[in-house]
Amino acid sequence: MISRRAFLGGVLVVSVPLPAHAATGFTPNVFVRLDARGRITVTVPRPETGQGVRTTVALLVAEELAVGLDDVRLEQAYGDTARFGSQLVANSFSARQLTQPMRTAAATARCLLVAAAAQRWGVPSEECTARDGAVRHGHRVLRYGSLVRDAAALDPATVPVTLTPPERWRLLGRTRAGRVDAKAIVTGKARYGIDTRPAGALVAAVLRPQWIGALVDTLDDSAARAVPGVVAVTALDPATSGQGGVAVIARSIPEALRGREALRVTWRGGTPTADSRVWLAELETALPAVPAAPGPVAFEAVYRLPLLAHAPMEPMNATAHVTATGLTVWTPTQDPGGLRASLARQFELDPANVRVEPTLAGGAFGRRIEPDPVLEAIACSRVAGAPVSVLWTRDDDMRHDSYRPMSVHRLSAVVDAAGVPTWRAHGIATWPLNVLPFFNDPAIVKLNGDHFPYTVPGAVDVTLRPAPLRTGFWRAVYAGHFLYAEENFLSALGQRAGLDQVDLRRRLLPADSRLRRVLDAAAARAGHVRPGFTRGVACHHDYGSVIAVIADSSDGEVRRVTAAVDVGSALHPSGVRAQVEGGVMDAVSTVSGAQITVREGRVVQSSFRDYAWARIDRAPDIDVVIVPSDAPIGGLGELAYPPAAAAIAFASGQPVTGMPVGVDVG
Amino acid sequence: MKGAAVGRYRLHVNGERREVDVPSETPLLWALREQLGLLGPKYGCGVGACGACTSLVDGQAARPCITTVAESQGRRITTIEGLSEDGDHPVQRAWLELDVAQCGYCQPGQIMSTVALLAANPDPDDDAIDVALRDNVCRCGTYTRVRAAVRRAAQLKRGDR
Ligand code: FES
Ligand code: FES
Repeated sequence: MISRRAFLGGVLVVSVPLPAHAATGFTPNVFVRLDARGRITVTVPRPETGQGVRTTVALLVAEELAVGLDDVRLEQAYGDTARFGSQLVANSFSARQLTQPMRTAAATARCLLVAAAAQRWGVPSEECTARDGAVRHGHRVLRYGSLVRDAAALDPATVPVTLTPPERWRLLGRTRAGRVDAKAIVTGKARYGIDTRPAGALVAAVLRPQWIGALVDTLDDSAARAVPGVVAVTALDPATSGQGGVAVIARSIPEALRGREALRVTWRGGTPTADSRVWLAELETALPAVPAAPGPVAFEAVYRLPLLAHAPMEPMNATAHVTATGLTVWTPTQDPGGLRASLARQFELDPANVRVEPTLAGGAFGRRIEPDPVLEAIACSRVAGAPVSVLWTRDDDMRHDSYRPMSVHRLSAVVDAAGVPTWRAHGIATWPLNVLPFFNDPAIVKLNGDHFPYTVPGAVDVTLRPAPLRTGFWRAVYAGHFLYAEENFLSALGQRAGLDQVDLRRRLLPADSRLRRVLDAAAARAGHVRPGFTRGVACHHDYGSVIAVIADSSDGEVRRVTAAVDVGSALHPSGVRAQVEGGVMDAVSTVSGAQITVREGRVVQSSFRDYAWARIDRAPDIDVVIVPSDAPIGGLGELAYPPAAAAIAFASGQPVTGMPVGVDVG
Repeated sequence: MKGAAVGRYRLHVNGERREVDVPSETPLLWALREQLGLLGPKYGCGVGACGACTSLVDGQAARPCITTVAESQGRRITTIEGLSEDGDHPVQRAWLELDVAQCGYCQPGQIMSTVALLAANPDPDDDAIDVALRDNVCRCGTYTRVRAAVRRAAQLKRGDR
């Protein structure tokens, strides 16, 4: 269970079958173990991408083991779904799917330790309590360390496992602690994919297709090979090795980049004249027809949404070492288990010989579900006969992403005498997510995107056109498209009828619903609209959670955002607020101007200079209200973005015809 | 660039004298990371557009990704590793108190920009903070906490509770 991690300047720690302390320690399951001194180690099954899963897991285990957060040491699980279960970070799953298994794993350890102490004292287990790393009975105290051997000898089947009830939680939902990796981060010691450099590793930079779908026609690498430090040059087959192009393998990053500059390549095929304005116009003509309405249509509007890039702060990268018998990969991935399985399939290897070590990820947002940099690193390692780290430049990252699809939405409504909608229609023309063929189905896209929160009957109809470039999962996926159009349309209806935006939504939500409660909580916290300010309101429900967002703007800038969430149990309150804050900032960025455009077959944007992601000067005050709830734990990572974008767009006071607001789309 | 002569450059990093053998145009960022094993400064863009690599050169916030090793000779370079071992620099303490980081990748740069700001302006208002940190992108959206942490760091540095 020792994780095999190696970093630049460090030593390659070769994995050993079992750590020495296993002989004397206590390993009740794959997630929790105690050594002979009682030190607790937790294996975190899913990777950290900034969503805070390591902190949540540490809290769950510390709570159930009755110790402090600082008493648990974390190890990151390598990819192995048979051992650790699903390891996929997606669909805001982590908290929902890990809470029960991690609590149970730790509670099992605690109950066995208690049983061991009870046995030693000759008292019933029920009379003993676990607290602060020890089992107690009256004045008697036994530290966990002294119980480890006896606990390991017990038959777990004979010891009933009880979970700590939420009303007795000391940490979960109550802690003021920050995230567990915070100190490593602020001291520069946190290690990401880009920091991984096994002993003897080379590096590679890839010259990528010069326009969408372009293939290498001719390659002259003589000048590149002459660059000092360059070790090898290899063309990448797009069928097996990511997105194609030519890799330059070198001793150091600057040498690899110099080598890349010296390549002389001509390209063929692909779509050298592609233009995102044309794509948008095509989608518009593909809009489904408006269905027959039950009355006169009061209002109709069309919204156009652009391409968006993921642009995680840490550019895409991977390190691979291909050996005669197998393969080791170190990479920031959202799915180490799935990656291992797919690599074993693709390279016809026994999964036992494929090792995937997830690193910390400098952001992911859906991009790191895909394996393209890993496949490049494998191809390079094969050629070089050594471990190779492939680093994408920012330009690579932004121009060769799997983008959030463009979409066009047409909405229409029938309203009552007060102007409140009684029927709605929403027609959508968009592209599938071609990184996953499953999504090439209008019914799946509808299922994913259709989360209209209000009780207004109507029709939602999706048309899919073939995607003209790579498209993939982007935080909130299609809900980000659908809800943006729906909430802006509802706001426009409210405005036409002179209705208060909160009141309008209240009327459309059942009185005792979770949505109504968060809307009321957000409205109470936001207070009245101040003079000179304009307000936008939006609600969303998905992943088992609900949220209401209120945005207040003045002079065209959003100044204050109030969000109220009900996520069931907010296990790590600071982390819950952080996810909402992140979703709000994504909304500020995409509403205020960030978009990807394509001209002459090529993505125009190449860095944060032209992909207008918001900076600190655009950041509003963000106030997050966590509404107490006894609902089951819900997901959160993707919840805030769609309603925040809608609320912020409407609050701008400008007519909203798409995203970004006030900018030509495409 | 091609065939650029490799030279030996003396760097003064985090209070120590270090030497690197690289071509003169080598960006300081890669010398720090690949030659000296200082992995705190991050690569985010390589063109001075994101701030992930931000470190101090003679006390000023600088972008090692667009500063060459030759230009860096004889200057005092401080990376995030040079602030403190244990995170007890006032700026780091403020960052911990406010639980600023999400993925954390941009944070060494945010912190180093803040150190430079507070050296020049011990009590920055929001506008001064915006100006000093405008070029530090955080893709996770931690800005509201960054702003609060800069103010808190200013207090801690002054010795306020
Ligand atoms: S890496 Fe230096 S500013 Fe982006
Ligand atoms: S914390 Fe992730 S980029 Fe800033």
